[in-house]
Amino acid sequence: MLEIRNLRVKLAEEDKLILSGISLEVPKGQVHAIMGPNGSGKSTLAYVLAGREGYEVIGGEVLWNGEDLLAMEPDERAAKGVFLAFQYPMEIPGVATMTFLRTALNAVRRSRGQAELTTPQFMKHVREEALGLAIADEILKRPLNVGFSGGEKKRMEILQMAVLAPTLCVLDETDSGLDIDAVRIVSAGVNKLRSQDRAMLVITHYQRLLNYIVPDKVHVMADGKIRKTGGKELALELEKSGYAEFKSKALESA
Amino acid sequence: MTLASTRTKAEQALSRSFEAVAAELPGGRAIAEARKAAIGTFAALGLPHRRLEQWKWTDLRSALKEALPPAVNERHELSASIIDAALEELAAIDAHRMVFVDGRHAPQFTTQADLGGLEVTPLAEALRPDGSASDALTDQSITGNEAVVALNTAFMTDGALIRLAKGVRLDKPLLLLFARSAREGRLVTLRNRIVLAEGAEATVIEAHLALPGAAAGQTNTLTDVRLGPGARLAHVKCTLAGERASHLATWLATLGQTSVYRAFQLTAGSGLVRNNIFALFKGEGAKLDISGAFLGREVEHIDTTLVVDHAVPGCESRELFKGVLADRAHGVFQGKVIVRPNAQKSDGKQMAQALMLSPDAEFDSKPELEIHADDVVCGHGATAAEIDEDLLFYMRARGIPVAQARALLIESFIGEAIDKVEDERLRVALAQMAKRRLTGLTAAQP
Ligand SMILES: Nc1ncnc2c1ncn2[C@@H]1O[C@H](COP(=O)(O)OP(=O)(O)O)[C@@H](O)[C@H]1O
Ligand SMILES: [Mg+2]
Repeated sequence: MLEIRNLRVKLAEEDKLILSGISLEVPKGQVHAIMGPNGSGKSTLAYVLAGREGYEVIGGEVLWNGEDLLAMEPDERAAKGVFLAFQYPMEIPGVATMTFLRTALNAVRRSRGQAELTTPQFMKHVREEALGLAIADEILKRPLNVGFSGGEKKRMEILQMAVLAPTLCVLDETDSGLDIDAVRIVSAGVNKLRSQDRAMLVITHYQRLLNYIVPDKVHVMADGKIRKTGGKELALELEKSGYAEFKSKALESA
Repeated sequence: MTLASTRTKAEQALSRSFEAVAAELPGGRAIAEARKAAIGTFAALGLPHRRLEQWKWTDLRSALKEALPPAVNERHELSASIIDAALEELAAIDAHRMVFVDGRHAPQFTTQADLGGLEVTPLAEALRPDGSASDALTDQSITGNEAVVALNTAFMTDGALIRLAKGVRLDKPLLLLFARSAREGRLVTLRNRIVLAEGAEATVIEAHLALPGAAAGQTNTLTDVRLGPGARLAHVKCTLAGERASHLATWLATLGQTSVYRAFQLTAGSGLVRNNIFALFKGEGAKLDISGAFLGREVEHIDTTLVVDHAVPGCESRELFKGVLADRAHGVFQGKVIVRPNAQKSDGKQMAQALMLSPDAEFDSKPELEIHADDVVCGHGATAAEIDEDLLFYMRARGIPVAQARALLIESFIGEAIDKVEDERLRVALAQMAKRRLTGLTAAQP
């Protein structure tokens, strides 16, 4: 279970408050969506969960399976099952995708007390997952994300997620920039991972993705706060009315 | 004011050393004369210093506090296993070997290459009055009056003279090992020459290593490379000279028509290194690719200075140097590409990049283009950057511990240069050797 309690976050270098008291609970086995206008703080929340530097937590707490997530280093969090699919995946020149996946998987398995996979086991595992995501073998040999299209990068994030088998999946705008076929492929990949031992937080600007990854709950975020929570039908409402209702406050306060 | 009074202690000591050992240095009368002239040239020039443009970041006059006595006839007791251990991964490469210890050929470790069309002669032998050495050994046409080259001519004791006949393809790499073993600091001076006749092909590896227990010494090494028309040479230099050791190296390469010269230099674990490379295109349509990786830590100083001279039309030159600098290490890259007035269709690209692991490390670079022709494609660049924190975070978010993430990023940075080595076994060996040293660099970081 992910428990976020009154989380307040500012930029480390500036006096700018970005998250002004987020509270949220995602039990295992559930998928929650966070929707909201650009600049509302969705990525910041995702980054803070993953442990990125540059943000300062000035209040509240985040518990993952009862443990204080915020006290852990990013790689410790990954070892505890946290995974962030980045809105803007990084390019890593000179590190072949396969090498990267293997290094990450071995690191995570070691930290979870599991044996490393043999090379054939590993290759088989990755190839199977890649096939489902329509990722060509040739891409796995290229340096990670270097020269990949936007869609390829997003599919690669999901491949990493499938390979690392995390238990808390945070997906930050995995659908942005994808055409409808790619949204289907990515969603199928995500849905395959839905299970009783996994909690998922799906961040998206558009309702479209939620037709494919049907959430248990939808939270609307604006100005660094959860402004409304509802069932999956809330996403459809937003699709009609837009974020105007929430944006107006942002404009007033600006 | 006399010249001598303005000379540093080391400069004076070098001149005195020469007087002391001249009689023991190999060579007949003509060579002795050439040596004498060279030490005269050195006496007039002195050690290069920062007021000379090409030496502004590597001031030998202040860096070389003392001149060590020249190694002339050092005794050493070595075993093949000590040598293999020092060669690390290079030991496993199937190669013809020629071994020099403290500036002297060690025939017991040399494997005789029995191949028609290949001549390999130790310099000391060739310099004997009845030997085969020609005045080519003292030819300074490329560098003009270079003090370091003059010192090399004055003091050279041994080295490898390699000649490959027309059309001969060397069956496996030739590994030249220059090991230091002396327990007392010595000046070792080496001179090599690699001549490939028309269409000949070879891979030559120079490994400059310190054996366990060797004192920090000084090395002056020069390799003269001459490629005939259509010849192909892969030339690798691996410099692991040892802490506090100084290593001055000069490569002089002339490229004949349509010849291909692929060179790579790995430099690490060495106190002070200057790798000077002068490459001259003599025939049209030739290609040159020089790359290198250098790893510096503590107060190590690694300088790569190269001049590529497009003297004839239609040649291509590529240089890629990558360095990783930790602690207070100092890296220098100076690359000058000259395109002569008639050298149309010249194509030159140069890049030097350093990864700075510490705020106290320093990287100075000066890529330079001197273009006198109009129909050319030339480019250059140099960067110094720290490890990208965003990349580091991305990798950590995937569960990779920070030290490992750093190491992987550094390795891939260096890897781009090592990837230029075409021979796979050699490339893997060099990557492993570099990686071993990277672990040392990253472990030292916070
Ligand atoms: N590292 C940062 N530096 C400066 N401003 C930032 C930084 N991270 C986030 N912000 C600001 O915080 C607000 C929320 O950003 P973000 O979390 O990216 O929103 P969203 O993902 O919902 O579009 C924006 O106003 C953004 O400009
Ligand atoms: Mg965002």
